[in-house]
Amino acid sequence: MKRLSIHLLWLSTVALTLSGCAMQPPQAWEKGNFARKEMTMDADALDQAFTQHVYFSKESASGGTGVGGGGCGCN
Amino acid sequence: MAATDLSLPLVASDSSPEPRSSAARRGAISLAAFALPGLMISAAHAEGAPEEGVISLKYQTYRDSQPGLDRIRVNAPALHIFAPIAGSWSVEASTVQDNISGASPRWHTSISGASKMEDRRTAADVKLTKYFERASVGVRFAYSDEHDYRSNAVALDGRFSSADNNTTWLAGVSTSRDTINPVNGIVENEHKNVSEFMVGVTQAWTKNDLLQFNLTYVRGNGYFNDPYKLVDQRPREKNQTIAMLRWNHFIESNSTTIRSAYRYYSDSFGVRAHTLSGEWVIPVAERFIVTPSARYYSQRAASFYFDPVYDPVIGEPYPVGAPQHYSADTRLSSYGGITLGGKIEWRYDKNWSFDLKYERYEQRSSWRLDGGGSPGLAPFRAQFAQIGVSRRF
Amino acid sequence: MKAEIAVQFAAMASPCEIRVLGVGRDAAHAAIELAIAEVRRVEQKYSRYRADSVISQINALAGSHQDIAVDAETQQLIAFAAQLYHASEGLFDCTSGVLQRVWDFRSQRLPEQAAIDALVPLIGWKFVQWDGERIALSRQGMELDFGGFGKEYAVDRAAAALASAGVEHALVNLGGDVRVLGSRADGEPWEIGIRDPRPPENAPDQCFATIPVQHGAVATSGDYERFIEIDGKRYCHVLNPRTGWPVSAWRSVSVVGGLCVQAGALSTIAMLKGEGAQAFLDAEGVSYLLCDAHGEVFRSG
Repeated sequence: MKRLSIHLLWLSTVALTLSGCAMQPPQAWEKGNFARKEMTMDADALDQAFTQHVYFSKESASGGTGVGGGGCGCN
Repeated sequence: MAATDLSLPLVASDSSPEPRSSAARRGAISLAAFALPGLMISAAHAEGAPEEGVISLKYQTYRDSQPGLDRIRVNAPALHIFAPIAGSWSVEASTVQDNISGASPRWHTSISGASKMEDRRTAADVKLTKYFERASVGVRFAYSDEHDYRSNAVALDGRFSSADNNTTWLAGVSTSRDTINPVNGIVENEHKNVSEFMVGVTQAWTKNDLLQFNLTYVRGNGYFNDPYKLVDQRPREKNQTIAMLRWNHFIESNSTTIRSAYRYYSDSFGVRAHTLSGEWVIPVAERFIVTPSARYYSQRAASFYFDPVYDPVIGEPYPVGAPQHYSADTRLSSYGGITLGGKIEWRYDKNWSFDLKYERYEQRSSWRLDGGGSPGLAPFRAQFAQIGVSRRF
Repeated sequence: MKAEIAVQFAAMASPCEIRVLGVGRDAAHAAIELAIAEVRRVEQKYSRYRADSVISQINALAGSHQDIAVDAETQQLIAFAAQLYHASEGLFDCTSGVLQRVWDFRSQRLPEQAAIDALVPLIGWKFVQWDGERIALSRQGMELDFGGFGKEYAVDRAAAALASAGVEHALVNLGGDVRVLGSRADGEPWEIGIRDPRPPENAPDQCFATIPVQHGAVATSGDYERFIEIDGKRYCHVLNPRTGWPVSAWRSVSVVGGLCVQAGALSTIAMLKGEGAQAFLDAEGVSYLLCDAHGEVFRSG
């Protein structure tokens, strides 16, 4: 758990670095860019499912974006 | 003048941002009006029931290779449907069939004497979502079936948005039960039960930045061995912790989008992994979108992993001593992986779009984050490609 | 569908209405309050009748050789005004508001030609010094005026405020400039009535057409809102910035577009274009409904 908390600390540092500046949440009328398909988190469901399935069969790490993917025997 | 209903055969165009094709049909003044600040309606971030459905069909292929060996090929047609129903509900369903063929991988694996493998996996899932004013709740059932492996899962997730819609909290739980019946009969009717718990938050950081942070905890118990590997004995309990950060950034000056993600993964087998990925969505010409992408993955080996060094005297590899758990599965070794690829999307009109994606993936032990990967692993390469069509309705 | 909530109010010297459906009563009222607040904000910021407005600050410095820096929203609106000027070949000029000094539509008297001639030199976008961030009006007595699209802009901003509050089905009407979000109950489009420019005396609000709209806007320019009539000849409030005199080719021009600010600007320019209105609107790719000086109706293909 100690290692995990170190990693989480590092991760939040990354988060702050990535954002680069203070949070300035958009006003109601400034959200046009969020309507773009590419700005949504899960833009292409089939693409994402296929890619995750491939990596699931080749790497130890999986998950992170949602729950309930279900297993497979793709060893 | 009499009050006549002229009923113009027209419906005003939607004000949400559209593919450039329709923007190109507008005149200069219309374009200028659409560039004014704060007039676009954001539908994506608000909860609220969706009004449009989409059906997508993809043909996905996977092929991998190691030097001197022709390995597995997978051809997988997949279908996905999303449809709003009855005002405040939506239903989403997908199905995929993996047709797997190719030579059996590597010498330390065997499949009941067969040197060629043919297999088929059928998977399907359906999700029902109910939308409320600022929240939504979804239930999902997933099913996956191979001749030797079957999985059933059920998942529940909820989302809740702040009044200004700039923050969305999400939570999810799921449970799955897998049944394993390998053809070599090494075990019979083995099971694996996995429960997942996730919490997350999505924040509109600025008008051009969307950030998401998810934390997932997975508890599993049961049969985690690879039944087709001769020397494979893993713990019957596996717990995973995953932290994921996703960041979508829109660049106004050129209308491109950078999507990036970092994931930290840790499990009770001793594996620690970092995944960093990014893609750059670039609209080019009028109706085309090109997206180059890159991904880096690095993992530390499981604590019970041993290097499968073929010894000329002893022969097949075997773990030193008599450990309780052991595996030579390369998936549990130390290595790094790099994926490079790209996607082209053709938005034919408002409703039809076509896409093509190609990626190359390579694993090498020397590519691990600190360079100290497992020895004796041959470089592993894979290519994946997808071709798809999508129709909105 | 839940009950439709409608709120009437007055803003920008016009009767206004916002209707919302599909959300609960409290949520609807909260969203409408947000939208009305946005309308008032736009009105305060850009009204030429308020001494503290951005527009009044700019106008106060006319001819002083001093420029003034404006905020991002104003920058984009001025840039929009510049684009309207160029795209209309000078017909839409947001400095033409000075003509209202001599055109008094409450009286039934025409202005003297000499009075008009004295004002025409103060009209001209070319006398506006604009670098994208700072603006100055180079001639004393000049006036900038967002009247040609300010109300329509407020309509769209109000609609965006409703949408941000989670409203998906709504209508915003500020003095006849209309924007709708989503459909009405049962997925039916909103039916927007177009006022008859020459209604019978016993039915002054009679409509001569209805336009079904879903996710879009309708704006109408007409010769019947404010006018002077002398010897059967009508002098309306839509003034040509080059001559200083009213246009007369169309009784009414209605444009359907995605945004109200788009529909409003196009309908005004079409009025000014005269005979070229149809070709102009066709080129802009919008739908329209025109009624000419003889009462004949033209509509987009």
